[in-house]
Amino acid sequence: MPRTTAVESPGCPPLRALTTDILGLVKVVEARAKPAGVAKVVETWGAPDASRAIVAASLADHAADPVLAVARKNGVVELLNPLNGDSLAAVKTVGPEANDSDPLAALHLFTRQASDSMLGTFIACTEKGKVYPRSVAKENDSSGTDAGPSSTWDVCSGGNVQFCSVDHSETYVVFGGKGIEVNLWDITSCTKIWSAKSPRPNNNLGIFTRPWFTAGTFLCKDDHRKFVACTNDHQVRLYDTALQRRPAISVDFRESPIKAVAADPNGYNVYIGTGTGDLASYDMRTGKLLGCYVGKCSGSIRSIVRHPELPLIASCGLDSYLRIWDTNTRQLLSAVFLKQHLTTVVIDSHFSIEEPGETKSKQPEPSLEVQTEVRKEKKKKKSRTIEEEMQGEEVKHDDSEAEMYTPKREKSGERSKSLKKKSKKQQVA
Amino acid sequence: MTKEKKRKQAPADAAPSQGDEGDRKERRKDKKAKKERAADPIRPSQIKNKEKRSELHAKLKREKKAQKRKLAQEREQAARRAVELGEQASPPERQVPRTIENTREPDETVCRPDDQELFAGNDADEFNAVLKQQMTPKVLITTCRFNSGFISMSSNNILSAASIQRGPAFIEELMQVIPNSHYVKRGTYELKKIVEYATNRGFTSLIVVHTNRREPDALLIIGLPDGPTAHFKLSKLVLRKDIKNHGNPTSHKPELVLNNFTTRLGHRIGRMIQSLFPQDPNFRGRRVVTFHNQRDYIFFRHHRYIFETKESKVASKDKKAKKSESKSQTDKQVTCRLQECGPRFTLKLLTLQHGTFDTKSGEYEWVHKADMDTSRRRFFL
Repeated sequence: MPRTTAVESPGCPPLRALTTDILGLVKVVEARAKPAGVAKVVETWGAPDASRAIVAASLADHAADPVLAVARKNGVVELLNPLNGDSLAAVKTVGPEANDSDPLAALHLFTRQASDSMLGTFIACTEKGKVYPRSVAKENDSSGTDAGPSSTWDVCSGGNVQFCSVDHSETYVVFGGKGIEVNLWDITSCTKIWSAKSPRPNNNLGIFTRPWFTAGTFLCKDDHRKFVACTNDHQVRLYDTALQRRPAISVDFRESPIKAVAADPNGYNVYIGTGTGDLASYDMRTGKLLGCYVGKCSGSIRSIVRHPELPLIASCGLDSYLRIWDTNTRQLLSAVFLKQHLTTVVIDSHFSIEEPGETKSKQPEPSLEVQTEVRKEKKKKKSRTIEEEMQGEEVKHDDSEAEMYTPKREKSGERSKSLKKKSKKQQVA
Repeated sequence: MTKEKKRKQAPADAAPSQGDEGDRKERRKDKKAKKERAADPIRPSQIKNKEKRSELHAKLKREKKAQKRKLAQEREQAARRAVELGEQASPPERQVPRTIENTREPDETVCRPDDQELFAGNDADEFNAVLKQQMTPKVLITTCRFNSGFISMSSNNILSAASIQRGPAFIEELMQVIPNSHYVKRGTYELKKIVEYATNRGFTSLIVVHTNRREPDALLIIGLPDGPTAHFKLSKLVLRKDIKNHGNPTSHKPELVLNNFTTRLGHRIGRMIQSLFPQDPNFRGRRVVTFHNQRDYIFFRHHRYIFETKESKVASKDKKAKKSESKSQTDKQVTCRLQECGPRFTLKLLTLQHGTFDTKSGEYEWVHKADMDTSRRRFFL
């Protein structure tokens, strides 16, 4: 007999993730076993139809009444109940004149709610840079689903928008794309606050490269001035709007375009995924590569999401696998084959296995946090190295640290200067 | 174990007065060893002493052989008994050898025929228009950039060129295999320009034959206008003139055989290959083009077949009297004969890229990576 050893993935803690794909299906993946279990597909919502392919999705992750918004290829934004898949509302955002030529590119559903009568507020962005903020009322309150197109604004004149990212306080939004420099907008006043400048050409010919941003995210929870943007020519850049218009840090990662980025709640780590299926994490304070996530990941990564509490990330992409990784050990915990090219993944953080059925996450649970803490401690016990413990502690004190960190940075220009120097050095190198 | 024995032996040799005791100890040791062996058989590879190792190996081999013979005898006896009892002598059960292929690692991406999502996915993919016969496939074939090969349409020139280099000859044969295919000189155009050119002219696929040192070594198949790009390594190319008793293909539309494309990725590659050929073969032409996948290598063959009615061999070998009888009965068998024509080559998938050819900003659906090769029994197609 062949003496081969199959490396079994250890399984992931209780978790619920929703994926969307190019056939317009929403699939629910759950891991139910208590310490660690295999993730499985639990439900599939929607009928397969290629014209209703989902291009973007966003989850308002409330304990009560969570809402999932999905943007379809035909310009419709649908609001779903992420617990049972019921369609709550469907809004045609894109104007009738430009439907095929100007598909939706990005979507964000706001987590804070304006009032109880509102189902949700979202902004949708098309490829040509038209941004549609919409708020949808609950259907029993008003007859129409669309509660007024408040305003539509143009992000850019030419080029393709490829991502939009909203900060934690949900007042600022950053856009970027092919031929568009990253720019920061204020949502409340719909004005452009800041736009980036392309870095100085680092080749000896001085040839200017056209901006092409593929992914971006805000770095810290309570600082809208720092964000990470990734480019098609495989650069990870940290922009600081308080510092300068050129990137503070810019590092190269391998050779294929970066397609997805997600920030860690600790406020300095980011996870990036590339077009050839490489997944890595960076420390954006120094721009150092922390490590790569090695598994048999063979297709382009389209979406990465970090679990808000557990040290987990989920990634999905064109190899039609949803993969769940441990961020501390960078080990593959579980992989689920979902048959189609996946576009986005979101994690429902208010999921626990105690209560059966769909009602489980409707009530806010005080016990959940305790559970997660216990889990964290368990993890700590497992991890033998001191470094990891240090990391864990950092995670715990991350809020206070971030608060302390921001005024420091404002006070001391030295640090920023040093950052500048570093970036220059890197450019030279 | 052997080391321990040696250590025990060495002092025994040094002090002959204690030799008896040493012997006894050794015997005890041997007994212990035998017990252990019964519990957990020691593989010969664990023994470091060559003599002992070969001894054990020979012994194991002998045992195995004896067992095999015994089993064969039993089977034979059972068959004989069955014949004596008057039962129909059933053919002995065919033993299936264990190969790397049929001990393949279980793969969850293998397609099942009852999978509705698979069909829905197929209906949505890029090849659907061609495969549903809404479009006729039209293929553009070109070479790599700065190709030194020289190709012209008159056959005399081709022959003279082919004697020097195989690239042009290969393209010539590929054009005979794939109906409605057109050769376009590459010149120094970039591949993106060629893709643009071909899309504007209504081509459905683009094949680039890449040559290295005048020897074809890679094949790039691009679906147009937005289909995927597959990059294959091409090896073991045998041209028509090097095949013994080869036939010359006709211009009929060939039949297509795709074997063993099982997984999701395999299906996609299979559909891509299928979209190169017209979906309505001329069965009169009796041409078959085969893409056979085995262990992720895709073998290409091109045959012409013929069904012949022939007298069976048994009838011809019988005596003359019986022969006349058989003739009167006209006991005839239909046999199929194959004649190979066209090139013979092997493909191996390196990458499958989403969208048309784009090395700088392309997204890959599948890339072969080194860390996937941890098992010989894992296949992707």
